[in-house]
Amino acid sequence: MYRRGGAGIAAFDRHTQSTQSYSELSSSLTATQVASLQSQLATFRASLSRFASSHRSDIRRDPEFRRAFQQMCAAIGVDPLAGPRKGSWWAELLGLGDWQYELGVQVVGICVSTRERNGGIIEMRELLRLLTKLRGLSGIDGAITEDDVARSIKIMETLGAGYEIFQVGDKKMVRSVFKELDNDQAVVLEIAQSTNGRVDEKGVQSKTGWTVERVRVALDNMVFRDGLCWVDEDEQLGTVYWVPAVMIWYD
Amino acid sequence: AGYVLPSIHAWPPFFYQQPGAATQATQAEQWTRLILSYARHHRLFHLHPHPVHPPDPWADALANPRIKRSLKAPYLSSLLASLVAQGLAVYDPPKQLHSVLLYWRLPSEWAEILFDWASSTAQLNTILTFYEITNPPVPSPLVDLPLPLLRSAIAILAKSGRAQLIEGADGGGVRFFSPKPS
Repeated sequence: MYRRGGAGIAAFDRHTQSTQSYSELSSSLTATQVASLQSQLATFRASLSRFASSHRSDIRRDPEFRRAFQQMCAAIGVDPLAGPRKGSWWAELLGLGDWQYELGVQVVGICVSTRERNGGIIEMRELLRLLTKLRGLSGIDGAITEDDVARSIKIMETLGAGYEIFQVGDKKMVRSVFKELDNDQAVVLEIAQSTNGRVDEKGVQSKTGWTVERVRVALDNMVFRDGLCWVDEDEQLGTVYWVPAVMIWYD
Repeated sequence: AGYVLPSIHAWPPFFYQQPGAATQATQAEQWTRLILSYARHHRLFHLHPHPVHPPDPWADALANPRIKRSLKAPYLSSLLASLVAQGLAVYDPPKQLHSVLLYWRLPSEWAEILFDWASSTAQLNTILTFYEITNPPVPSPLVDLPLPLLRSAIAILAKSGRAQLIEGADGGGVRFFSPKPS
């Protein structure tokens, strides 16, 4: 169970722990062996730090790159998500609590994997549901609240990864792509929220008072330019637009 | 166990070929996965839209009466073309664009299964007819394997010297060879 706390406390704990481990180890090894071990660890750690530093912007900006980096770490036996027990270099490198970082990675994972379906915008409620499901499956205990997710995303915001929480109507949305919603799209999104994701030209027009052209441009952009909308031809309703970003998917 | 359709199958737009490029790609990927997993689960080798003899084993996959939607012919044709282009299906019979033979297992995978079966049933170095392979006395993974697939699998084994195709007057046969001692 990872402890949630300030980076300061966690760092102090880690230092104490590693000092203890070294002292236990040294009683069973010769001084030379210990010195050699320490020096090798220091070298390796320095290399990893250098790599992480030089690729910091890539790691922060690109979830796929970050995943690949994590896979590489796993392959060489380094667990970047490890808690204080193993010594977390990530916390030191990026100034993050382990638990928070792990949550951030999970948030990114879900946003990336749903991006094609919803265009990079997901409702907070839905994100929370998928996170809980994901953490439940992997046996990591501890319930996730909206606050936890918000804090994680706040951190990612400062990392410049394009993640942002914004409000549409009375619902919180999470954006995971660099492109911001234009104002008209935000309005359509809000309308879609109140109709379970399904909108049509007439409905948008009556709710906004926009011209037909303006409605069409907004919907077309959502369909063709931004991948936020799916289209359906309904016998009775005509052309219907669905916005996955505001729908709940049960899979 | 019954086959569980993905939840997107209950969503009307899924059946309408999407005009947006990125969305269309996602949609095609979902349909590809659905078609192949459905075929694998039900052991369906062919996808014949509108079969002559009902019932249609594909009805549940390609339509959802509850939402009054079904895959229209043009979109289905496009999906089949995509499957063929990806090497996940071939048009069968050849020279038409409506029905396909599905590779929910690739011919190379069938080749290994075929050879393992021949080996484990102690039938290496004997001549087996196609019929004997697809209608064995003891059920095997090769039961009712369509002939084009069987031939593809044999051709792959022949390339590595593990089988020899034998053409006969009424149908064909094959001899499998035990691996040469190295």
